[in-house]
Amino acid sequence: MDKITVQGLWKEFDGVTAVADVSFSVGEREFFTLLGPSGCGKTTTLRCIAGLEEPTRGEVRIGGRLVSAPASGIFSPPERRSVGMVFQNYAVWPHMTVFDNVAYPLRLQKLDRRTIEARVREVLEMVALRGLERRFPAQLSGGQQQRVALARALVRRPEVMLLDEPLSNLDAKLREQMRFELKELQRRMGVPILYVTHDQAEAMALSDRVAVMNAGRIVQVGPPLDIYSHPADPFVADFMGLMNFLPGRVLSRQGEQVLVEVLGQRIRVVDRSALVGPVMVAVRPEDLVMEREGDMAGTVEVRSFMGNFIDYKVRVADRTLRVQTSNAQVHAEGERVALRVKRALLFAAEGAA
Amino acid sequence: MTVPGQVAAPLAPRVRLCGDPRVTGMLAAAVLLAAIVVYPLALVLVRSLKVDGAWSLATYARAVSPDNLRPLWNTVWAATLTSVLAMVAGTMLAFLLVRTDLPGRQGMRTLVILPYAVPPFFGAIAWAQLLGPQGYLLRPVLNLLGIDQAPWTIYSPGGVVMVMAIHFFPFVFLTVAGALQRMDVSLEEAARTSGAGSLQVMRQITIPLVAPAILAGGVLAFMGAVANFGIPALLGLRARFFVLTTSIYAALNVPDFNLATAMSMLLVVISVGALGLQRWIQRGEGRFAVIAGKAIHPQPLRLDVWRWPAFALAAGFCMVIAVLPIAALVVTSFLRYYGAPLELASLTTRHYKYILGLEQVRRAAANTVILASAAATLCMGLGTAISYAHARAKIPGSGMLDAIGTLPYAIPHTVIAIAVLLAWARVGLYGTLTIILLAYILAYLPFSLRTTSATLQQIHDSLEEAGRVSGAGPLQTFRDIVLPLVKPGMLAGWILVFMPASRELTMSILLFSLRTETIGVTIFNMQDAGYTQIAAALSVIVLVVILAGNLLIRRVTRGQLGF
Repeated sequence: MDKITVQGLWKEFDGVTAVADVSFSVGEREFFTLLGPSGCGKTTTLRCIAGLEEPTRGEVRIGGRLVSAPASGIFSPPERRSVGMVFQNYAVWPHMTVFDNVAYPLRLQKLDRRTIEARVREVLEMVALRGLERRFPAQLSGGQQQRVALARALVRRPEVMLLDEPLSNLDAKLREQMRFELKELQRRMGVPILYVTHDQAEAMALSDRVAVMNAGRIVQVGPPLDIYSHPADPFVADFMGLMNFLPGRVLSRQGEQVLVEVLGQRIRVVDRSALVGPVMVAVRPEDLVMEREGDMAGTVEVRSFMGNFIDYKVRVADRTLRVQTSNAQVHAEGERVALRVKRALLFAAEGAA
Repeated sequence: MTVPGQVAAPLAPRVRLCGDPRVTGMLAAAVLLAAIVVYPLALVLVRSLKVDGAWSLATYARAVSPDNLRPLWNTVWAATLTSVLAMVAGTMLAFLLVRTDLPGRQGMRTLVILPYAVPPFFGAIAWAQLLGPQGYLLRPVLNLLGIDQAPWTIYSPGGVVMVMAIHFFPFVFLTVAGALQRMDVSLEEAARTSGAGSLQVMRQITIPLVAPAILAGGVLAFMGAVANFGIPALLGLRARFFVLTTSIYAALNVPDFNLATAMSMLLVVISVGALGLQRWIQRGEGRFAVIAGKAIHPQPLRLDVWRWPAFALAAGFCMVIAVLPIAALVVTSFLRYYGAPLELASLTTRHYKYILGLEQVRRAAANTVILASAAATLCMGLGTAISYAHARAKIPGSGMLDAIGTLPYAIPHTVIAIAVLLAWARVGLYGTLTIILLAYILAYLPFSLRTTSATLQQIHDSLEEAGRVSGAGPLQTFRDIVLPLVKPGMLAGWILVFMPASRELTMSILLFSLRTETIGVTIFNMQDAGYTQIAAALSVIVLVVILAGNLLIRRVTRGQLGF
């Protein structure tokens, strides 16, 4: 059974549409991510599910229960929804200790003291905060405050967890560590997570499924690998990872086998669309092979050593392409090279319908 | 390896201590501070500890003797009650106007802080007209009830507390409204998603978080009430209700200088104690530092059925505290005689004509303008020298100067007047404009220090350094780079000193003599002598100037200062 169902959700602020006709559902043990650039409506969608915003139209169900349906005048306030939410800035209450912060949702449920203590201890154990119960938030590091927020959201055993860019205030090392911990935690708790982020790497690493949002709408939904290898449009292709866009034209097509000419080179592409004539050819940096000689000749403009791989900018005719190779394949800046396209995607040419 | 005679390069660039014009400027500022601030204030302390030239605590014993204990006790309870009333009204109004969907809350926010801009003794005059024996508000009620004499009078301790509470509650309102606005909304949202209802959120999250702001505002209101002279003088003296400020005024009229100094020290102790309490409350705010998140506008709390009743209550309150007093002054100033029936035939402009033709008023106006602009200019000059040394050049020892210059903030103005009297009356300055000017500079220096250091800190060091590497000397850099950048801030600072100085009463009333009256003194004396309408007309003129000056501040600072 789906834990969250969003059906035809719209949210308008003073005539400005923030969320437009968004529908999706999150399954029982699923890690579901809303991914998109800032202002795409992902946080507003999350806040509508939490009950912190009232949607303009559409329906929201949590655990099968209808919690928002403006058409029939239904709206449950946040405190009546079984959600645990982690805010971007943690929102740990500065006037309460770690223990009081985490115990707060349980105290509201009027549980007895022994139960509260046991459950707080259990959840603090889970986020590795045991021993810090009596500290105030100002005495904690950013990462620790983050864990308090997480514990506070988990402690009432909500039907769903809502996480709003929870890692964006952490430094890079800690962010990576928390990523693994989050995933691990979710597996153990089995609680469905709806996660909001603008960081595509984070989305790919964590999610079972990702919904890419743009300008208030969901553009594509699917497992990260699917979206990465079969993006629905150039926006998704560009947002999920790096992408080179080149003008090309379809020379011939036999079913899904297509012969395309791009930058003077003829390549074979597997393509499910029925595009013919001028097209936009999208190539991932790792799908470009650098060789000494070939049809597509260019010059290495910039070389950035990234550790496990090397990031090149290669000038071919009047364009600059991003190429990523293993760290064993070293070319000098200014060196003449040739590129070969291993794999590519086709989109309708710009300006074409 | 060290070669003899070779000096190791300093790790950090240091200011050369000789010949640098910035250091010379700072030394000059230090001498001025010693003379203008330290010397007079120290004299109050010394004088309070001496009787007939010998060290003694006898004066203090006299100040707390049963005869004189009353004013001390009155000061404490009246200020405490004022502050409690201010905290209740200020907090409730701040919640209503910041956090709910109350209709017309923007307009009310401007009205609510109007009493803050009106000099307190104007309020006393206005409220005497509203609730005095013939008051605009009292008379109709009495007529309606068919009684001749009201059981309560504004000329009483209760009247003093009421008018003080009205005047000082904006302190609480402003601090609480500011805290509510700065507070991260997600702290409240986190409670909602934890399962708390909106009333629970308010009680368990919001109020504990703004509690320091409520207390800090309450302490400010307390300090204002303790140091206030105009309200207890105009409303309390008739009821023989003395507080410390009015007792010191009375002691100087005797004259009993020793008693005045000892009472001044009591006033200082109360005020400094309160300020210490406020600093201590704010120190706790580190605990309340919250990581900034996304700026999400809070959903205003829906008042639902309470929306219009709450509006009626809040709008009524704003009318009573902000609009009515000013309306009373305006009406009185245009009435043929005080107590005339409120109809068109009773109106006249002759009081204004009379005032404008009065030699004494013109002289007072000239004195006021000279004093206020001189005080503003000298305060800004001295303030800039100190702040520059402290905030920009970071010359060793300059922090001390900043602290000394800020010290008068905690000193009630009555005490400042006593201090300059002790210091300068015996060198022939008694009864001159200079002695009033010296008091103003002492009192308003903290204001100018605050604006100058804030403005100077906004300029990044590199701007000045770029001037230096381009070949400009320190003075040239200051003139060509720093000064043009800080000009708007400096102008605002100048007006911030000019405005309160131009309506000052507490110090001037103790320092003026024939021919050195200020506008504040003139209004006070006229009201005190029973010329209610002339006092009202003059007050209206001053109010117009104050409101225009405030508009000017807002224009100059693009809305950052003023209201």
